[in-house]
Amino acid sequence: MSADEALIAEGKNKFTVYCSRCPSKILNSGMGVYTDMTYNLPYMHHKADGDSTNVEDVKGYWQVSDIYTFENLGFSNTVENMKYLICADCEIGPIGWHDLSTKQSYVALSRVKHS
Amino acid sequence: MAKKTYDLLFKLLLIGDSGVGKTCVLFRFSDDAFTTTFISTIGIDFKIKTVELRGKKIKLQIWDTAGQERFHTITTSYYRGAMGIMLVYDITTEKSFENIVKWLRNIDEHANEDVEKMILGNKCDMEDKRVVSKERGEAIAREHGVRFMETSAKANINIDKAFSELAEAILEKTSGVSVEPVDRVTVDRRTDRQTIKCC
Ligand SMILES: Nc1nc2c(ncn2[C@@H]2O[C@H](COP(=O)(O)OP(=O)(O)O)[C@@H](O)[C@H]2O)c(=O)[nH]1
Ligand SMILES: [Mg+2]
Ligand SMILES: [Zn+2]
Repeated sequence: MSADEALIAEGKNKFTVYCSRCPSKILNSGMGVYTDMTYNLPYMHHKADGDSTNVEDVKGYWQVSDIYTFENLGFSNTVENMKYLICADCEIGPIGWHDLSTKQSYVALSRVKHS
Repeated sequence: MAKKTYDLLFKLLLIGDSGVGKTCVLFRFSDDAFTTTFISTIGIDFKIKTVELRGKKIKLQIWDTAGQERFHTITTSYYRGAMGIMLVYDITTEKSFENIVKWLRNIDEHANEDVEKMILGNKCDMEDKRVVSKERGEAIAREHGVRFMETSAKANINIDKAFSELAEAILEKTSGVSVEPVDRVTVDRRTDRQTIKCC
């Protein structure tokens, strides 16, 4: 995706990463490494009674190897060796996922705000 | 290893009777269109929050129980590594208040002996259903030498402030320096004012 290019500087996030809905700061600039992997994530925007099993392919993530690098972030309970990532303040999500076996976290570029 | 981007890391736990609001203190479960049923169903394990205290950047990792408290099976493994514990009761439930003493004993048995504790009287938005006065909460806290605050997870009263105060107490302990009680952290002013009104 070419839109992502503008957000990358030397392979890392050029800008600070914020929640797309609230002012919560997720990641400081230069702390995530860009990876163009594709992963299946459930949709973020659901009505409370919506079908929660719907997933979509999401491409492009900021990869972070130490969870304490994040400024503010919520981690769901474990689902098949992974945890979903949500905003620590308004809990919108999933904005990415955390792999329990590799300890890597992935924040989807398309599900956060950069500024 | 990447360069450390913070000064200190504090692991904090929530403990107390089932139903007092521990999960709500950590997880808002906002029932608007943005919160997926999906996330609400899975539940939250922990949150990482960054606070600035006395010029130090501190990461708080806050854990919820997985409901073990219902079966009184909170043991050493849950407390492992904990530096701070939020001991929560419900101001509308006498029993949950009485059990604070039991939880304190449980903490003494299983947690690190220098763990910093703080008692929270939650659901202070329900003034009409209150059965435990604020004075009783303060008294038990004083008796055990721990901090105390009334909170409402529902109305978002004192939640952030409580975590900042607990972090402050741990920081004080680690550095062995006492600080002025004012200007601790950047606390939401609005929350401050609500405090006086509600709790
Ligand atoms: N009015 C009010 N209700 C609350 C508050 N916090 C939690 N609750 C309610 O208390 C019930 C138990 O909350 P929960 O967080 O699951 O308790 P836990 O068992 O300690 O995790 C739920 O129905 C919540 O909606 C609060 O501050 N005010
Ligand atoms: Mg709970
Ligand atoms: Zn948010």
